[in-house]
Amino acid sequence: MLKIIDVHKNYAVGPTEVKVLKGISMEVGKGELLAVIGASGSGKSTLMHMIGLLEQPTSGDYFIEGEKISYDNDRVLSTIRNRKIGFVFQQYHLLPRLTALDNVGVPLVYRGMREPEIKEKSMVFLKKVEMEDRARHRPNEMSGGQQQRVAVARALVGNPSIVLADEPTGALDTRTGQEIMNLFRKLNEEEGITIIVITHDHKIAAQCKRQVEMVDGVIVQSSESRVQS
Amino acid sequence: MILKANITEALRSLVSAKQRTILALIGIVIGIGSVIGMVSIGSIVQNEALKQFKDMGVDIATVRKDSGEKGSEMALKDILGLKGRGDVTEVAPYLTSGTEYGSGSKKMFMEQMGVTESFFDLNKIVMKRGRRITDLDAYRYFCVIGTETEQFLNSAGTPDPIGSRIALGDRIYTIVGVMGAVSEGGMRPYGINRSVITHITTGTRSFQSKEINTFMVRLAGLKAAPEVKAEFQDYFEKKSNGLRVSVNTAEELIASMKKQMQLFSLLLGAIGSIALIVGGIGVMNVMLISVTERRKEIGLRRALGAQQMDIQAQFIIESVTLCLAGGIIGIFLGIGVSLVFAKLSKWEFLVSYGSIALGFGVATAVGIFFGYYPARQAARLDPIKALRS
Repeated sequence: MLKIIDVHKNYAVGPTEVKVLKGISMEVGKGELLAVIGASGSGKSTLMHMIGLLEQPTSGDYFIEGEKISYDNDRVLSTIRNRKIGFVFQQYHLLPRLTALDNVGVPLVYRGMREPEIKEKSMVFLKKVEMEDRARHRPNEMSGGQQQRVAVARALVGNPSIVLADEPTGALDTRTGQEIMNLFRKLNEEEGITIIVITHDHKIAAQCKRQVEMVDGVIVQSSESRVQS
Repeated sequence: MILKANITEALRSLVSAKQRTILALIGIVIGIGSVIGMVSIGSIVQNEALKQFKDMGVDIATVRKDSGEKGSEMALKDILGLKGRGDVTEVAPYLTSGTEYGSGSKKMFMEQMGVTESFFDLNKIVMKRGRRITDLDAYRYFCVIGTETEQFLNSAGTPDPIGSRIALGDRIYTIVGVMGAVSEGGMRPYGINRSVITHITTGTRSFQSKEINTFMVRLAGLKAAPEVKAEFQDYFEKKSNGLRVSVNTAEELIASMKKQMQLFSLLLGAIGSIALIVGGIGVMNVMLISVTERRKEIGLRRALGAQQMDIQAQFIIESVTLCLAGGIIGIFLGIGVSLVFAKLSKWEFLVSYGSIALGFGVATAVGIFFGYYPARQAARLDPIKALRS
C-alpha cells in the first residue's frame, strides 16, 4: 500500500543544514492502524507531511499503491493527495464560514463533482461519525470533539487509501480524545480503513495495532501490540 | 462544480469582511461610474447635435459682420440681394435686441427679434397657433411670440394671447401668432422660445439696437467653408466699403462639436482611468490582505487536494466578483449622472447599451489584472507553512 525507502530530509536554516529525516524506510499495509510515536523534534511531523505529499524528500523513494511519486508536477501531486490521502489535524482546520456538511464536502469539490452529489456523500460520512444532526452548524457552534469528528468525516469522504492523523487528540480532553480513538478503531476494524496516527502520547499509541517509534530522525523501534478495548 | 463553489466562496468571503469590501469598492465604483457617465453623456450630446442638423439640414450658414468695424454697415437691401446669386437659395437676415417685460416680481427677459418671412422656413419654425410674420407686415406693429413668452403671459393673466397687445419699449405690438417650441443652439439663434418677433423693418425703426449684423443663408449643395466665406467677403467688400464678415457653416460647427466631444471624452476617460487604476490598487491591497488572513485556509485546501490553479482561480474569482459588484453600482451611478446631465440641459436622455457592456468588460478586466498578483501569491504558498501560520 505504502512504501518508503531510505528517505532523507534536510532543511537549510541560515548557513547550516538541519537533517530532520535520516534514512527512513518503512512499509504500511492495507488495513493497518499504525502509530508513529516520538517526542517533538523527532521528525514525526515531517514524516507525516512527506507521506501526505505536502513535503518533498531531499532523497529517497516513496511509493503509494506501487506507484512511484514524482514531485515535479503540482497537478499530479494534488490529484494523488485528493484521491488517496485523508488528513486529520490536531487543530481540526475546518473552514469557519462553511457548515459541517460543506466542510466535509471540500475534497470532493476539487474532484469537480456536482453539488447535490457532494451533499449526499457528505451526509453519508457525517452519519458515520454520528454528526448528522449538526450538519447545518458552523465550526464555532460545535465543541472540539464535534469539530474533530467532522474533520474525520472530511478525511474519509473521498474514500482515500490512507488516513493521516496528526496528533488528532492533542487539542481534546482525555475523554473526548478517547472517543476519537474509538472512532478510528471502529473505522479500521469494521471498514478496513488504513490509518496512521502521529502522536507523542504512549497511551494513544498503545491503542493502535502497530507502533513505530522515532527518535532524532530515525526509526528506533517497531512493535506490535494487542489492542485492549 | 469548482467554478460555482468558487463564486459562492468569493461572495461569502466578501460579505464576511464588509467594511474592507466597501472601501475597496469605492474606487471601482467611481472609475466605472465616470467611464459610463462619459460614454452616456457623449451619446446624449451627439444625439442632440444630430437632431438639430436633422431638423434644419446641413446646408445652412450664418454670416456675421466682424465686430469692431465702425462706419460700414450691412444694408438690408444688400443682404436680400444675395438671394439667387451663386449658390444662395434663401436669405434670412435678423436683428436682435433684448428687453425686460413686466414689473415687480413678475418679470421676464424677452428676446426681441426682427425677421423676414424666410426666417421661419430656414429655422423650421412651426406655428402652434395664429399666423407667422410675413413680408406684408413690413413697418407694421404685429408680432409672434415663443412658447416661453406665451407661458409667461398666461401666468400674468392672459390665457389666450392672440389678439392682445404687448407694450415693449415705447411701442405697442399686436400678437398674431404663437410659435411651437424649438430646440435652440446649433445653427439656430438662441432665444426663439422666449422671443417676441416682428418684421425686420419694424425692428430697425423701433428696437434699441438697430443695426443688422447677422443673417442666415441656405446654400445649394455643400461647400467648403473657406470658399463660401470668400464669396461673401467679396460681395460685401464691394457693396459696403471694405466691410469684413465671418461665415460659420453647419459643416464647420459639426467639426468643432466633434472636436469638443473628443476633448470631453478624453478628459473624462483620463479621470476614469486614473480612478480605475487607484480602485484597482485598492482591490489588489484588499486581496493581499485576504490572502494573508487566509493562509491557513489555503494550506488546508492544498492538503485536501486543491491544485495551485484552483487556489489561483479562487482568488481571481473573488477579485473579479468584487470588481463586478463595484461595476454594477458604477454603471447605475454613471447612468444616474448622465440622467441628471440630460435633465439639467433639457436634452433627451438615452442609455447607451454599449456603455453598459463596456462597464462590465472593464470591471472584469480590472478584477483579473489586479487580482492576478495576490492570487499568484496565494497559489505559491508552501502548504505546510501556510497550515502552521
